[in-house]
Amino acid sequence: MRKTKLFMDTVVDIQVVIRETESIEEAESKMDRAFEAFRKVEQACSRFSPESELMNACRIAEDSVWISPFLYEPLKFALEIAKLTDGEFDPTIGKTMEEQGYNRHYLTGKFNENLAADSVTYRDIILDEQSHTLNLNKPLVVDLGAVAKGFAIDLAANELKDFKGFIVNAGGDLFAGGVDPNGLPWKIGIQHPEKKDQLIEEIEIINEAICTSGSYERRNAKVPGMHHIINPKTKHSPNDWVSSSVVAPFAMMADAFSTAAFLLGSEKGKELIENAGLKGIFITSELQIVRVGGI
Amino acid sequence: MAKMDKKWVILCSTAVAAVYSAGFISTEAQATKVDSHYQAQVSNQAIGDSSSTVTSNNNQAKGNNSSIISSNSNQAKIDKSSIVLPKSNQTKRLYKDGTFTGMGGNRRGSIEVAVTIKNDKITDVEISNFDMHYSERDVVGLPNEVIQNQSSQVRNVSGATYSTEAFQDAVQEAISQAQNA
Repeated sequence: MRKTKLFMDTVVDIQVVIRETESIEEAESKMDRAFEAFRKVEQACSRFSPESELMNACRIAEDSVWISPFLYEPLKFALEIAKLTDGEFDPTIGKTMEEQGYNRHYLTGKFNENLAADSVTYRDIILDEQSHTLNLNKPLVVDLGAVAKGFAIDLAANELKDFKGFIVNAGGDLFAGGVDPNGLPWKIGIQHPEKKDQLIEEIEIINEAICTSGSYERRNAKVPGMHHIINPKTKHSPNDWVSSSVVAPFAMMADAFSTAAFLLGSEKGKELIENAGLKGIFITSELQIVRVGGI
Repeated sequence: MAKMDKKWVILCSTAVAAVYSAGFISTEAQATKVDSHYQAQVSNQAIGDSSSTVTSNNNQAKGNNSSIISSNSNQAKIDKSSIVLPKSNQTKRLYKDGTFTGMGGNRRGSIEVAVTIKNDKITDVEISNFDMHYSERDVVGLPNEVIQNQSSQVRNVSGATYSTEAFQDAVQEAISQAQNA
């Protein structure tokens, strides 16, 4: 059974493999709950909607705000990755993204513009584990683009874990659970960066996530060479890789690490994935395939 | 292969657990589930037709809405023609509640969406029909790599984000049908 909806400017496609003994109603209600996870995470984490929990919290600088786990958890994860990469990956990139034109809501078409201090880093975001609160040192715009979708996929996957097999595919970031309708591991193609009708690679995964960060999608209309993955320190798009795919046990992990590896470039990016014990497939601008972690 | 750094696995699994332990995912969806065997048989026949939508008599794919696309390059200007769903403090609702379909498309194919509106807010956008090449080049005779929404045989691809311009057109069309006169 298969259903497709639109969330987070992304086509979210959920497929489940149903056993003969399972009822269609039960399957449908589980799929609805999986989609509901996307709705909840989007309402909490969207940088494009002024009413999101995130944007409401961003308007309150220098004061503590309680935030729900739908926002707290992905933000906490993003801050850990920021620490790990010494700020090459940084969720305070939001204002820079807005300035580059990535601030338009995909459903309403409205532009979202917010105040931010000139110089901000992830160290200006303070989370308190005890009170579950967020405190911003100065006005800034948080962008959770590299973790929120992954988190929603993981929550959706948790709703579907009892199926014999399932796939939660959010615009090519996906979690494949169990086995495919033929009882085999799920085969996942990796998009060719230049030829859209072709795959550059194919892998098999079971109960794992794969996320791909590519510079070939969402290119900047105004500035040639720029795309939606921007280094917060240089404010430029790195171009060592054209595509960075990471396989991990959780989609939030695969999502954040594929973006971080893209930002870090060839040497440091490979090292990051090796040190975390993950698997990655990277494509250079000359279309060379670089494999990491025994994949 | 290096041993996996458990720290990240633990962070992810506690993140998922945190949502549940706080009771943030409700069981409302399950309450609506229908239990009778008769119902199960009926909807068995209906698999493959997931769109339970208010059908409208739009039979043409709308072309690209140039005002939306052009506004992309001018971020300071707010596009007046775009959908602005009003705040709830307005007494009269501008949109009817319900599910409305709309079509969008480009040279690569067409998309049909079912948009659900409640209290002047978009609550859901389901893709009820998706028939598109995901080739950027519009060349006749390219391998027919078409995604058919209801087929389970479609290959999964990592790294392919579809253009949402066609979706935007489809959503706009659906919303225009919801508009109160």
